[in-house]
Amino acid sequence: MSSPSARQPVRVEVRGLSKSFGAVRAVSDLGFTVEPGSVTGFLGPNGAGKTTTLRMVLGLERPDAGTATFNGAPYASLPEPARTVGAVLETAFHPARSGRNHLRVYCRAAGLPLSRADEVLTEVGLAEAGRRRAGGYSLGMRQRLALATALLGDPPVLVLDEPANGLDPEGIQWLRGFLRHLAHEQGRTVLVSSHLLAEVEQTVDRVVIVGAGRLVREASIEQLRSGADGAGTVLVRSPDADRLADVLRAAGSAVTREDDGVLAVAGSTPAEVGSRAFAAGIELHELRAQTSGLEEIYFELTAGREQFAAHSPAATTDPTTEPEAAR
Amino acid sequence: MIRLVRAEWTKLFTTRVWLGLLLGACAMAGGFAALFTGFAGRTGNDGQALPDVGTSAYEQAAFAVSANATVLLLILGIIGMTQEYRHRTATPTFLVTPRRGRVVAAKLLAYALAAVPIGLLVIATNVLVVEIYAGARGAAPSLTGDNLRVLAGAWAALVIYAVIGVGIGALLRNQVGAIVGALVYLFVVEGIVIRAIPAIAPLFKWLPGGALQAMTATLDATDLLDPWQGALLLIGYGLVAAILGTLFAVRRDIT
Repeated sequence: MSSPSARQPVRVEVRGLSKSFGAVRAVSDLGFTVEPGSVTGFLGPNGAGKTTTLRMVLGLERPDAGTATFNGAPYASLPEPARTVGAVLETAFHPARSGRNHLRVYCRAAGLPLSRADEVLTEVGLAEAGRRRAGGYSLGMRQRLALATALLGDPPVLVLDEPANGLDPEGIQWLRGFLRHLAHEQGRTVLVSSHLLAEVEQTVDRVVIVGAGRLVREASIEQLRSGADGAGTVLVRSPDADRLADVLRAAGSAVTREDDGVLAVAGSTPAEVGSRAFAAGIELHELRAQTSGLEEIYFELTAGREQFAAHSPAATTDPTTEPEAAR
Repeated sequence: MIRLVRAEWTKLFTTRVWLGLLLGACAMAGGFAALFTGFAGRTGNDGQALPDVGTSAYEQAAFAVSANATVLLLILGIIGMTQEYRHRTATPTFLVTPRRGRVVAAKLLAYALAAVPIGLLVIATNVLVVEIYAGARGAAPSLTGDNLRVLAGAWAALVIYAVIGVGIGALLRNQVGAIVGALVYLFVVEGIVIRAIPAIAPLFKWLPGGALQAMTATLDATDLLDPWQGALLLIGYGLVAAILGTLFAVRRDIT
């Protein structure tokens, strides 16, 4: 099943998407683009509207306003949706039906050969368990079955909502490699949501960050790294900090004095700062680039945007205490 | 549409719900047939004698008992539709077929067609029990004329009730609610309340239970429609429920 149509690049465009549930505005005027051949992380805290957005993109929920299109066509108008878009949403299957039969149902409905069921089971590593009742599957196996369902039609677009939930570390490792393979080697468009940046950091090429239903940031992962405050900032410690500050300012750098004789130098590399200090004969005790962790950037971007923020002191200061229960 | 119907059949026959309901329906038809034959000719507490074996009244009544199993076919149809919501498979189903009306239409068709052989097995059980038991009591009924008409009516009713079940499932979406609601309606509301209130009793023949009786009833042939009218009316109820369900329930957000 590597028909040329399956490899046709498909761009997903979301424009002005809005949805309210009663008085709660779940998604507000959200717009972003998902490019073919790359993995796009759809990030935001729990309750940021990620799942609602994905379900609107897939035509399962009706937006109050806005559109989501696949190469210009909304999901419901796709002639063969299963061959264009594969989706992993909440794991849904009849517990008494085997994984293989579950897949065969959708082969029938999508007009695919039944042999696809066995092919995708092998692809996701479920070949052994295919004939067992899906109700007896572990959480990780359920996620794999959901992924297998999405892959049935060999679609150029994959949309995955928190696919790492329930996977063990080995499974997460496998998923990362699998998604990269699907996007980079097979040229598919992959959109994967997560509330944990760390979970997808090594997988994604681009990020779409949402908070409280609004777009916070749409960027490549490099842009996210470099666009943050820390980028290009060099921390330098010297017993002669005042004179060093003058020297660096004279060279055109923005310098801010921090306590304890530390200067924060923006727009320079450590090498530039070091050579200027050496040329001026200034003694240095410490010289390093300030690398702000992505997790920290993500946390800053989304801080205070949780729909249901918990005001525990730890949760507001330490990004590593973001909800981990779902891991 | 053909592939959607086949998908529904795959769904239906890859769990054991259909088997349980089929066996239940056969047991019900066979059991009622045996009871009816066993008590044929006896005099009840009210002093009225039940028609004896060998009379056409007995034969038609004994061949009509399959119609009691319509309630199980109704449940089959309800489960067929509502399991999509109960087990959340509505999500993958509507992802593959975003035009949800097509899914409902495919289910109506798939369950109607599946109910044809299922209904036939129920009727066959009924006939088998009657022929053997009544034969042992001296007069095996012939499978001709009015007897055949009664059997055909019961068979059609079984099929139509599966269709109605799908329609009710589409309308109500909640499996337990739909099943309990349908049973309460059939046995309490129609069976007791409406017939007990003289002012609205004439309405009965226009209701699903009355239409079912029109298709099969022979004993208390009171004020009923013709069999074919009853069949059309029942099909109408099923389709109206399915259309209303598609418009107002199935199209709602799947969250």
